[in-house]
Amino acid sequence: MIALLLAPTAQLVDPSAMSDINLPRVIFWIFALFTILGAISTLMRKNDIAAVMSLVFTFFMLAGVYTFLSAHFIAVLQVLVYAGAIMVLFIFVVMVLNRDESEPWVWRGLAGKALFGVLPLLPLCYFLCTYLRDMPTKHPDAPDAAFGTVAQVGQLLFTDYLFSFEVVSVLLIIAVIAAVVVARSAKSNERDHQPADGAAPLPGHRFGEPQTGTSYASNAVPTPPGSGGGPSPGHGPALQAQGRPGPH
Amino acid sequence: MTPTSNFPLYLIPLLPLLAAAFNLLLGRRAGKSTVTLVALGSVAGSMFLTWIAVSRLFSALPAGGVLVDSFFTAPWIKAGDITISASLVLDNLSAVLCLIITGIGLLIHIYSTSYMEHEEQYTRFFGYMNLFMGAMLILVLGDSLPITFIGWEGVGLCSYLLIGFYYEKSAFALAGRKAFVVNRIGDFGLLIAMFLIFTQAGTLKYAALGNHLEALHEPAWWGLPVAYFIGLFVLLGATGKSAQIPLYVWLPDAMAGPTPVSALIHAATMVTAGVYLIARMHVVFELAPVTLAAVAWIGAITALFAATIGLAQRDLKKVLAYSTVSQLGFMFVGVGSWMAGDAGHLGSSNYHAGIMHLMTHAFFKAGLFLGAGSVMHAMSGEGDVWKMGGLRKHLPSTHWTFLIYCLAISGIPPFSGFWSKDAILGGVFHAEWQPSPGAGGLEIFFSHQSGHILYGVLLLAAAFTSFYMFRLYFLVFTGHFRGTHEQEHHLHESPPAMTIVLWILAIGAIFVGFLGVPTSLVEHLPESMHWMGDMLGQWLSPAVHGPIGEDSLAEFGSFAAIATGVSVLSIVAAYVLYGREGKGLAHEPSPRIENPAQAIRNVVAHKYYVDELYDWVIVRPLRFLSYVLWRFVDAFIIDGIVNLSAYVIALFGRLFKYAQNGDVQRYIVGIIAGAALLLVAPAYYTVHEAAKFEVRQNGQEITITAHGGGPMTGKRLRYRVKWEASDTEFSAVQGKPSFTHRYDVTGDKKITVEVTDTRWNSTSSNTQSVMVN
Amino acid sequence: MIPTSDFLILGAMLFCIGIFGVILRRNALIILMSIELMLNAANLTFLAFARAMHDGKGQVFAFFIIAVAAAEAAVGLALVVGIFRNRRSVNVDELTLMKH
Repeated sequence: MIALLLAPTAQLVDPSAMSDINLPRVIFWIFALFTILGAISTLMRKNDIAAVMSLVFTFFMLAGVYTFLSAHFIAVLQVLVYAGAIMVLFIFVVMVLNRDESEPWVWRGLAGKALFGVLPLLPLCYFLCTYLRDMPTKHPDAPDAAFGTVAQVGQLLFTDYLFSFEVVSVLLIIAVIAAVVVARSAKSNERDHQPADGAAPLPGHRFGEPQTGTSYASNAVPTPPGSGGGPSPGHGPALQAQGRPGPH
Repeated sequence: MTPTSNFPLYLIPLLPLLAAAFNLLLGRRAGKSTVTLVALGSVAGSMFLTWIAVSRLFSALPAGGVLVDSFFTAPWIKAGDITISASLVLDNLSAVLCLIITGIGLLIHIYSTSYMEHEEQYTRFFGYMNLFMGAMLILVLGDSLPITFIGWEGVGLCSYLLIGFYYEKSAFALAGRKAFVVNRIGDFGLLIAMFLIFTQAGTLKYAALGNHLEALHEPAWWGLPVAYFIGLFVLLGATGKSAQIPLYVWLPDAMAGPTPVSALIHAATMVTAGVYLIARMHVVFELAPVTLAAVAWIGAITALFAATIGLAQRDLKKVLAYSTVSQLGFMFVGVGSWMAGDAGHLGSSNYHAGIMHLMTHAFFKAGLFLGAGSVMHAMSGEGDVWKMGGLRKHLPSTHWTFLIYCLAISGIPPFSGFWSKDAILGGVFHAEWQPSPGAGGLEIFFSHQSGHILYGVLLLAAAFTSFYMFRLYFLVFTGHFRGTHEQEHHLHESPPAMTIVLWILAIGAIFVGFLGVPTSLVEHLPESMHWMGDMLGQWLSPAVHGPIGEDSLAEFGSFAAIATGVSVLSIVAAYVLYGREGKGLAHEPSPRIENPAQAIRNVVAHKYYVDELYDWVIVRPLRFLSYVLWRFVDAFIIDGIVNLSAYVIALFGRLFKYAQNGDVQRYIVGIIAGAALLLVAPAYYTVHEAAKFEVRQNGQEITITAHGGGPMTGKRLRYRVKWEASDTEFSAVQGKPSFTHRYDVTGDKKITVEVTDTRWNSTSSNTQSVMVN
Repeated sequence: MIPTSDFLILGAMLFCIGIFGVILRRNALIILMSIELMLNAANLTFLAFARAMHDGKGQVFAFFIIAVAAAEAAVGLALVVGIFRNRRSVNVDELTLMKH
């Protein structure tokens, strides 16, 4: 199916360039092959850690591809930020969840997905590629040596794109705060909500009702009867009462 | 320019209104004594304020001066051309009304503290009463029609609330509803009159109406001046509020309310609002004297009609209710009397007589109702006069005051009713109404002779009045007791709070008539007594027009003698029939019909079946129409449309809800499909657009310019132009391609441009016709 | 010299692989990784055109995309942790609360 999808991309290949085979191009395609293999491997792995490591490998290969594009700075960022920071975050989360997967694929609704999700991808890629190939190219020759260096990108970042740069920093702060709020443990949430309303629903309940009577959240709340200032005696049952039977 | 002076008039209605708010909102918590204090204190306060205001009006201002005030300094309503300020005015007319309302109102409040003492809803009663006082004072004090209308609606509301005061009984609640609905018809008339006045004069202020007489006199429909229609619509409003034919039917039923309410609202004050309004609007009425004739005719017919019904009623309050309707008819005749002036001169009217009767009637009718209340209080709520009798010795104060009121309403000199009724009778005898322009012979006859006819009608009504009042008196207070033994044992005089009020009103019923002693009589008295001549008429003369031409003493004497003689005869007749040994006592009215006299009496006792007539002619057809509108138009058509649209939407919802299965991945599939569509659709749209072209003609040479593609698509578009009857061309171009062809022959040619996108073989074509010549 | 089209082909392939992962995998973590793949495909395309047009702006955009991807990963992973805490599961086909 992937092959079927990728077939239209052949439209991209300029027939005149087909015969032009040189060493950099061969090396690029080796990188590209590893990139695609890594990406496919990411999707196919049952084990989460293996999937993350495949993705790290893919990003390393992509960093290599970026160097062919004279994007040295971005290539370095790719390794530092993506393969380093972000993927470490992924590994942390995988470790925290610590779970095995029995059934990695969703088979339900496969026909609908194929019909409406995959089939449209064919014309999508087809048109995408033809539009892109017809795009006029100003400079077919290689850019000068300064292109893609830290100095050049930095020059742009701190002049034309200074405002965007600052906005991105604000965005990152917001993301950090959001991550802290969302991922904060149910226990600390519970403590914050306690004085306002003894029976306040846990934030976790926004996501739905517990599958069983022993949800994580309600387990996490000790309900000592009659503890002054603590949760009210009827708190535990109140939580249970809110957990309606799940749809499944 | 009218001399004006400022005075905080707004306090007069505001005090009872605040008291009403307090009593209705906090009364239950505050307790009975506080409620009494607040209710009576506020009315007393506004009475004293009225006294101060009237004395200011009397002393500090020249004749015709008015006191003005406003609730807000800024205009109250601004909408388009209309600007209404919440202004109040106290002129000589509203001063009289205010004095009556606050004075009688306070007396009835005092009476009620005792009468309603054991009532559970004591606070609610006084809350409504205070609300009524505030609304009535706004009605009287308002300086423009909208302000008056607020009071008008306010008193209507209070009337409704108080008639249905014992709403646990559905008959009483229905009586309140009837009053409300019938009053709505009248309010409709008043609203239409307001709209007409505003469209013609551009103002609704009473004082400013005199400046727009030409505009109000313009012909409107059928060549009649617009004032004609305004007058008739105001009259419709007045008949609703003042219970005149054809809208009188609510007042007798309004007796369902507590007796003090009947005294205050349905006898002394609210029902006189129509009389007041006609007096207020006299400027407009005078522009079309025919409308004044209509006022007088309606008043006279109502007076006679209601008096005859009063003859055959056996419920104490029902008799008084029909008496009220009848007396209001007298007032209408008073304000409707008009004598055409000589050419170029305004006529003269008899408004003061109507207002005078309003004032005297307020005293003796309020007294009659309160006396009836006292009787029913003693009889444990029994209202049937055939169950009473001989109450004289049990209720001495009530008896004596009731006798005074009966003498006053019968017009026996020197009681107050004599003076006011005589003024009305004398005025209407001389009345002549100008016929409307281009009127026929009959109308001219009626314009000139109506006065005499109406005089006769009123004289008959006055005779009936005396008869039914003394019938009542004899049945209730003389003879032997006809009720149950238990009731007789229970008989007792009312507490002092009630009897004192009765005596005060009785004193008023005796002496208040001296305010209207005719000048012709006073002239023959010593010089020092001349100030007594027609005090009320002179007081009112700045506010309303002067009285109809002065009677001579001889004329006055003959009118007085005729009226008094008729009344005395009626009283004697009543005594013969219902007095100590009266033979009418022997036959208690029964529904059985044995002879024609009984048949007539039954018809009269059933109020001429007017309620039944209205029920069949108006209510039932309307109910049927409403039923049809409800069942067919509303429930079937309108609801059907609404339900159908809801059903269609629900159908779509049921179909599309399967897309919302909560599976995020399926949503993403939807996004992909949509993105694909967005990218594919423009590709075909591009070809479609590229095939459009324009034609330029230069003789036989045709040049067409196609739209072409954008910078991304241009290179791959292939154009094929088909020149009809000629060769075809094939081009591959970028940008806006142009093609030229020279025709050898003339004629109608079809040119077709066909565009193919070589990338994905989409094709579109476009054709135009060109005339080559 | 490598033609620009080669890079675009690689980008398109990565993007399609990413879409496959998003619509077919159950595991929310893998779906997040697939999104990262798609972002990288976009990045690659930006850089390819930046070189083709000798314009540094494309690289600046790639920089911003990396920053946004970092923020997205942080919030997304926090959400995954939060969901897991409540449901003991990160399978997206079980999170069907947004339904009729």
